[in-house]
Amino acid sequence: MKEHRVKPIPNMDTAAYFGALADGRLMATHCGDCSHWTWPPRPVCSRCHGENLSLDTVRGTGAIYSWIVVHRSTTPDMMEYVPYTLALVRLDEQDDIYIPGRLLSDVEAFRGMRVQADPKKIGENIGDVIWKAIESDLPVSP
Amino acid sequence: MSVGNTSFPRGKAAIAGIGCTEFSKNSGVTTFTLAVRAIKAAVADAGLAVEDIDGLATFGVNDSISPNVLAQALGIQNMNFFLDQYFGGSVSLSVLGAASLAVSAGVANCVVVYRALNGRSQVRLNGANAAPSRQPWDIQFKMAQGYTIPAQEMAMYARSHMLRYGTRSEDLGRIAVLSRTNAVDNDRAMMKGRPLTLDDYLASPMVADPFHLFDICLETDGAVAIVVTSTERAGDLPHRPVKIQGAAWGGGISMVNNGYTDLAVSPGKAVAEKVYANAGIGPSEIDFAEFYDCFTYPVLSQLEGYGFAEPGGVPDMLQDGIFDRAGGQLPIQTHGGLLSEGYIHGINHVFEAVQQIRGDAAHRQVARHDVGLVTGQLGYISGYSSACLLVGG
Repeated sequence: MKEHRVKPIPNMDTAAYFGALADGRLMATHCGDCSHWTWPPRPVCSRCHGENLSLDTVRGTGAIYSWIVVHRSTTPDMMEYVPYTLALVRLDEQDDIYIPGRLLSDVEAFRGMRVQADPKKIGENIGDVIWKAIESDLPVSP
Repeated sequence: MSVGNTSFPRGKAAIAGIGCTEFSKNSGVTTFTLAVRAIKAAVADAGLAVEDIDGLATFGVNDSISPNVLAQALGIQNMNFFLDQYFGGSVSLSVLGAASLAVSAGVANCVVVYRALNGRSQVRLNGANAAPSRQPWDIQFKMAQGYTIPAQEMAMYARSHMLRYGTRSEDLGRIAVLSRTNAVDNDRAMMKGRPLTLDDYLASPMVADPFHLFDICLETDGAVAIVVTSTERAGDLPHRPVKIQGAAWGGGISMVNNGYTDLAVSPGKAVAEKVYANAGIGPSEIDFAEFYDCFTYPVLSQLEGYGFAEPGGVPDMLQDGIFDRAGGQLPIQTHGGLLSEGYIHGINHVFEAVQQIRGDAAHRQVARHDVGLVTGQLGYISGYSSACLLVGG
């Protein structure tokens, strides 16, 4: 692991989330009452406002909704990757969840590109989301 | 769900004075000093004295100076209203709106709204800070991957508009050129005397593709202050009162306020509907507009959201000169905006709108200048937005 200089400071709401990323798993808040997903992890369900929540591992697959190519970075840990693609990925679990992350792909990003989360450890119990392009027969959503 | 409220105290409060410092890359003084200078200038412009101030209101997400510090320094003992709102351009007009409510309700008589920052020399919004600053809650989920600069986030939304409507770089470039054209002859503007062509724009380096360098506003040191008092009292003061006819607070679309599935829709729409309802004024009655323009794309998106263009319709209208200061049907960014005048977090938009409505904008003066729309950041970052409609008294 390469320890990042710029990383989140986990708290009681987020420690398990960032810890799971360090172990290679992407998670989101899941409501035990109405099954709604909420990301980033928060202490309340965005739909039913309940607090009967669990942090559950998601499939980690989704489709690129939008992307940018970062040509200048002010984040020291990321400067070596410039220019790199940051993708905003719509998660398969729910169509109002968008998760950003650096894209690893042999081809240029496009809307609907299928990706898989490949989280990596960047600090003690802290991980970050990386998206990896995958081969897929799924139809490209508009 | 309420969309606006016709019982808003329309035009009961007015702007009676405006003041600003020089806008620069390095002020050489603290935000404390900048705020004091802008406030003194605004009070003098209103024909009032510091002793008349009984309210102070500001906002900030990077560096700032608090109302209590200024009240103590200026010896103001009869404070009746204060507000130190957390966040950036999205709340810039909400603070003016709150001041107008305080005055309309009779809670305070003279509220000064101000914004002071050393946005270039000290606390930069790109994260390369010389000093710590309070950060938005959601930044922890973006920071590690280097998704920390507002330009990156807005570029992400610009891309979604390009994918939907075929919007091109040159369309955004025309907004940059329009803003620069309006700044070139503006004495306050950081970009005074420095014209920009579409070719210059297209040749400028990519920062966060699709954003070029010239899609991005200017990190600036400076301060602006606005004196709000009752319209009745403003009538006895030197300048034409600029009534706050309506103000609105509203939500916008951001990556983390779940529930939105189309990020190409203008998040400005929600607050637009409210400010029009609150003011009792619609887009066809507006003479000019100063849109919050931390980047080019938000201007395009707000032209749609505020009802001046159909989705996807802005590029043709830009080419037709509809938004030009000279001869356009709806002049916008008449001073050059945050893109080319300077980034005083949107309060410099209010300064310009007041000059226009007074008829004091000299060679920048637009032909019809009785009704001006001024907006805050449209709600991509923070999920908030705000706007005010200003009308000459």
